[in-house]
Amino acid sequence: MTTKTQPVPPAPTRPPTDGGRGGAHAAAHKEVRIFSRLGYLALIAWTVIVIGPILWTFLASFKNTAEIFSSPWTMPAELRVENWSRAWTTAHVGQYFVNSVLVVAFSTAGTMLLGSMAAYVLARYSFFGNRLVYYLFVAGLAFPMFLAIVPLFYIVKNLGLFNTHTGLVLVYIAYSLPFTVFFLTAFFKTLPTSVAEAGVIDGCSHTRLFFQVMLPMAKPGMVSVAIFNIIGQWAQYLLPVLLISDQNKYVLTQGIAQISINAGYQADWSGLFAALSMSILPMIVVYGIFQRQIQAGLTAGAVK
Amino acid sequence: MATVRYDKATRIYPGTSRPAVDGLELEIGDGEFLVLVGPSGCGKSTSLRMLAGLEDVDQGAIYIQDRDVTNLPPKARDIAMVFQNYALYPHMTVYENMAFALKLRKTPKHEIDVRVKKAAAMLQLEEYLGRKPKALSGGQRQRVAMGRAIVREPQVFLMDEPLSNLDAKLRVQTRSQIATLQADLGITTVYVTHDQVEAMTMGHRVAVMLDGVLQQVASPRELYDKPANVFVAGFMGSPAMNIKKVPLTESGAKFADMILPLERSQIEAASADGGDKHVQVGFRPEDTDLVGAEDGGMPIHVDLVEELGSDAYVYGTVALEGQDERIIVRADPRNAPSLGDTVYVKPRAGQHHAFHAGNGRRL
Repeated sequence: MTTKTQPVPPAPTRPPTDGGRGGAHAAAHKEVRIFSRLGYLALIAWTVIVIGPILWTFLASFKNTAEIFSSPWTMPAELRVENWSRAWTTAHVGQYFVNSVLVVAFSTAGTMLLGSMAAYVLARYSFFGNRLVYYLFVAGLAFPMFLAIVPLFYIVKNLGLFNTHTGLVLVYIAYSLPFTVFFLTAFFKTLPTSVAEAGVIDGCSHTRLFFQVMLPMAKPGMVSVAIFNIIGQWAQYLLPVLLISDQNKYVLTQGIAQISINAGYQADWSGLFAALSMSILPMIVVYGIFQRQIQAGLTAGAVK
Repeated sequence: MATVRYDKATRIYPGTSRPAVDGLELEIGDGEFLVLVGPSGCGKSTSLRMLAGLEDVDQGAIYIQDRDVTNLPPKARDIAMVFQNYALYPHMTVYENMAFALKLRKTPKHEIDVRVKKAAAMLQLEEYLGRKPKALSGGQRQRVAMGRAIVREPQVFLMDEPLSNLDAKLRVQTRSQIATLQADLGITTVYVTHDQVEAMTMGHRVAVMLDGVLQQVASPRELYDKPANVFVAGFMGSPAMNIKKVPLTESGAKFADMILPLERSQIEAASADGGDKHVQVGFRPEDTDLVGAEDGGMPIHVDLVEELGSDAYVYGTVALEGQDERIIVRADPRNAPSLGDTVYVKPRAGQHHAFHAGNGRRL
């Protein structure tokens, strides 16, 4: 406590300054409101653009071809579930679906395992060439896939992996690593060093420290990148077209393309939309389940 | 239980020329509670981390119980550490946090259980064993961090400012708990803090560091009564000791109109080594008396009075060699002077400290 026993001088009287600034303040406030309204408008437009086509596809998958063309903007007259079963069996979408799930499951698992290990080492160990390796990965981000098509084809072929799912999985992993490493390196850097040190003092080896201490802490970031990779690899079209030619080994994107190519004059539009819906659904489910973690991952480190 | 010995241990961070810890020589006895204290950047944490094995030792060596641990990894040193931000594993429960190190050592399950529960009982954590750290308060997290160290039953405890994230009241409470706990367990402890009150109250001995160099190691009492140099004198004690550079006369130090008597040997030592006919003298705020104007004290113009309840500290200025210098003295809180008063202050006889004007060493 501080005591001042001297008489306190009266506070200097100041002319009220509010009058001059009040107007400007209100104007600024108005501006903010206009911007936030514009923001909402943009978000609404964005929502319509994203959800509209998906919804339209779903509705169309229950119509028949005539209905799709005669009344594209109405609800289906009846729920023609046979479109879905026809697509699943007759158009082999079931087979393609299983192929896609297998390929994406293995490639995502591989990407996450290798990517997290690489990112962890790049983020937390200093060694000669660390930056170089990191920048090589970052450079991979900027490398257009089309440039790699021809060499990639020959590499995979020479490895004897042409027309195999293993080959596709390996290429997916290679293709997904740059972003995964880039993102996770930043994420591992935000994790507190002292927890790692506590692990070291408790007696962890490097491997155990990674798998039992650091990796669980990186879960939000891992989930975000995993979802990103799953969606990206699920929707991949160019690479399967390049590397898989056997129809039995087609992935979903190829299968769907097959339906529209085979259509000719007698197109099965409703079957196509049913197949499309089947390919969209799993991604919506995955995203819905992990949405919370994605948000946590994207904002991690922003605020403590 | 073990002794710890730093033998000229030096740490130079890559890319810097000045050592962060410079030739540290320090022996810590079995079961001793040693506090490393100093301002931020003085090398105290680095010294601790060198002992933990988290920091390389560039020169010299470190021994735990006469075993050279300089190049051993942390897990081979049989130490446990409490971190400033606790560094709990966020994805593990309190129980798992405390059991983790034992699990890594392949301790039998039932023994882990016994030890964790015992530590939890000691720290009043029993009801929180199933919780994750984020569901605990700051004080509880701090206790979990302590518990994690205790269950290890290590040879040495290392604590890196374990109280600085607690609020003031809890800090005082936990301070005494840690001291009691250490006394009960009898495990050699090295404790780092920047807070001289913690150092004084907790340590059996206190090591004061500045700029990577050990300044003095002594019991809190000795450190307070016989500081080895100007830095230690100014660092230990709150409010700080009044230390001023004043002219040297034949009988002592000329402080305003007073002569603070110095011994013959002190005056000789002060004159040597480029003493420049000056000496630094210091006296603590509580080693003073307020006297009447005619009793020969130095006149002090009061700028500020801090009332703490038990004490009142008077901040004022005195003219020394034509310059206004700040002086702090303790006064009777029921009879404290007021702002703007002039009071007369006399340091108590024999309670002042003298230091060399140039190198700051105690005379």
